[in-house]
Amino acid sequence: MAGPLRLKAKSASPGIASGPAFLAERPGAPAAPRTAGGYAALEKAIDVSIGELERLAEGADAESRDIIDFQIEVLRDPTIAEATGARMETDANVVFAWVATLDAYIGELEAADEEPMQARAVDILDIKNRVLGALAGTPIADFPPGSVFVGKDMEPSRFLAHDWSKGGGIALFAGSTAGHVALLARAKSVPMVVGTGRFSAMDGDPVSVDGNAGAVVLEAGSMLIPPLAPAQVPAGDTQTNDDELHTADGVPILLSININDPAEIDALDPATAGVGLMRSEFSTASVADAANEERQLAIYRRVLEQAGERPVTIRMLDIGGDKPLDGLEDLPALSSGLRGIRLLLAQPEIARVQARALLRAAVFGRLSVMLPMVSFPDEIDRMRDIFREEAEKLGRRSLLHRMPPIGMMVEVPAAALMLDTFGSAAFFSFGTNDLTRYVSASSREDIDADDGKAAPAVLRLIAEAVKLAADKPVSICGDMAGNPSYLPALLAAGLRHFSVAPARRPAIRSAIIGLNADGTRAAGE
Amino acid sequence: MTSGLRIEKQEPEPLPEPFRVNCQTEVEVKHGVGLHARPSVTFTRLAKSFPCSIEVAVNGSDVWLNGKSIIKIMGARIRKGSILRIRADGILAEEAIRALKGLIERNFDEEKKHGRTA
Repeated sequence: MAGPLRLKAKSASPGIASGPAFLAERPGAPAAPRTAGGYAALEKAIDVSIGELERLAEGADAESRDIIDFQIEVLRDPTIAEATGARMETDANVVFAWVATLDAYIGELEAADEEPMQARAVDILDIKNRVLGALAGTPIADFPPGSVFVGKDMEPSRFLAHDWSKGGGIALFAGSTAGHVALLARAKSVPMVVGTGRFSAMDGDPVSVDGNAGAVVLEAGSMLIPPLAPAQVPAGDTQTNDDELHTADGVPILLSININDPAEIDALDPATAGVGLMRSEFSTASVADAANEERQLAIYRRVLEQAGERPVTIRMLDIGGDKPLDGLEDLPALSSGLRGIRLLLAQPEIARVQARALLRAAVFGRLSVMLPMVSFPDEIDRMRDIFREEAEKLGRRSLLHRMPPIGMMVEVPAAALMLDTFGSAAFFSFGTNDLTRYVSASSREDIDADDGKAAPAVLRLIAEAVKLAADKPVSICGDMAGNPSYLPALLAAGLRHFSVAPARRPAIRSAIIGLNADGTRAAGE
Repeated sequence: MTSGLRIEKQEPEPLPEPFRVNCQTEVEVKHGVGLHARPSVTFTRLAKSFPCSIEVAVNGSDVWLNGKSIIKIMGARIRKGSILRIRADGILAEEAIRALKGLIERNFDEEKKHGRTA
C-alpha cells in the first residue's frame, strides 16, 4: 500500500487544511454549460421571469395580480423587444441594450404628469431587476463544505459563493500567489497552495493542504486524515485596541481593511479606521450584475451602513484584460484587452450604472470612490463627467444622491511617476500588486515576481510618488501593505494610512507599534 | 406591418399580390379613467391573441401605434372621451377589430372583475 505522497507547492495562503478532495475537473466531463450569449440569453431570462411572475400570480390578491399582469405584459411588449434589438446594433451587448431600453421607459414614466403613470415606474424597475437576476443565472455548482478544492484554477465567484466556515482548502495545479483567488484566500484565512503541477486524485480522497510549508499531501490507500478544526481565526484579533493607533514615537497611523465580499464587512473591527478598499468586481459575478443598479446599490449601502461613521472607499469595477467577467466577452471593447478605467470609459454604460449606484449609496455613509488602473489625468476628468451627468439625471428624477470624492488607485508606473499632474484626483492609494507587475514586466503567473525581487524597485517608486502627491491624502492598499517586512520602508516613504486584508491587520498593527514613524525600530523592541 | 403571413382576400383589393385583409374602425372610450394599466393590459392581451397587425391612432392623429404594445397604448394617455381609430391588417383582421371594439364598448370588462378576455 502506498504511503502518503507529499507534493511540493507554493504557499498562496497560510494555514493547514485537510478534507476530502473535490475535483473541479472530472475526467471526461464536458465543459460546464455556458449560458448562450446574445439575444437568446435575454429571451430565456425573460421567459424565466414571466414564469416566476405567473407562479406569483397564482393565489395573489386581485391588486397584486393586476401589477403582475402589467409586468408580464411589459415583458411581452414587442416595442421593447424592437428597441432592444435596435440598441444592440450600435451597442452590441444585449444586457445593456435591454437595461437602456427599460431605463428610458422608466424615465418617461417618472416624468409623467399623472401620478398613476409615475407609480408604474417602480413596476418596470422591478422587472428590470428580475430579468437581470435571471440573466445572472444560477451560480456555478458549489462543492461540499470542508472539501479541499483541487483543480487547475478557481473562479473568484466560486470562492465567494462557498462556505469556508467548515474548513477546507485549495490546491491548484497552476495558479499564482498573486492571483485573485489567492488574494481572497489570504483575506479569509483559507489555506491554499498553487503550482502543485497536475496530480491525480479521486473525488473524496483525503487531501491535506499545507499553506505554511507549501505542500499538498495525498493520503493514498486507506489512511484517513481526521478532519481538521474549521478555519483558524486570526490570532490576536481579539486584543483590546484603543481607536488610535500610533507609531512608537507617537505619530498617528490609520489602519483600514480591504474587503472583497460585502459580507466581510460584518467582521469590521471597531478599532479599524474603515474600509480602505472594497473591490466591487468581486460582488459582480456577471455583466447582468454590472447592469443591475439596484443590486449594486443594496451592496454598497449595506457596507456603508455597517461602517457607520468610518470612511469606506469603493473601487469601481476593475475588469477586463486578465480579470474576466461572465458575459463580458460579448462586449466588443474587450477584444482590445482594455482593463480598469479604460474599459469603463470605453463601455460607459457599465460605468454609468455603477456611478448611479455609488451616487445613491453615498448618502448612507462616508463614501469615497476609487478608480482602477488610471494612467493619465484625463481619465479621471472623463469619469468625473460621467458622475456629474448621472448626478444631474438622478436629481431630475428626485432620487437622493451625493457626489463622493473621486480618487485613484496608483498601480500603473506612468501614473506613479507623474502623480503631481493628477490635480483632479481627490486622493491616491497605492495598489502594489499591479504596480509590481508593471514595474517588473511580469504576469500574474510569474513566480519570480511573487518572490518579492521587484520590491526594492516598487518601494523606491512609491517613495518618489509620495513626494509628488504633495498634500493630497495618500494610502496603500496593495498586498505589500499587509507584509510587515515592507513596513519600515513604507513608513520611511511617508505613508501613514495602510489598508490590509482583515487577517493581516493584527500583524501590521503590532508591527506599527514597534516602529518609529521613520521606519526605524523603536528602542527596546 | 411586416409580421406574419397573409391569406384569403375577402374583398377585391387594389393591391395585386399579398392577399390581405385590411379593416378599420372608430370607437369612443367611455371608461372612467381611460386606458391606465389594467385596461391597457386587457387591450394588448386581446390584440396579441390575433395574428394580424393591430394599430391604434388617437383623436384624429395620424401616428399609428402598435396595439400589441402596452407601453405604446399606456403612453398614448387615452382618456375618457378619446376617439380611437383601430386598424388591423392580416389574418383574422375583421375578427380582431370586432373584438377590440367590443372590448372598449364593454368598458374593458372591468365589471367582470379580472376576467380574462383573451
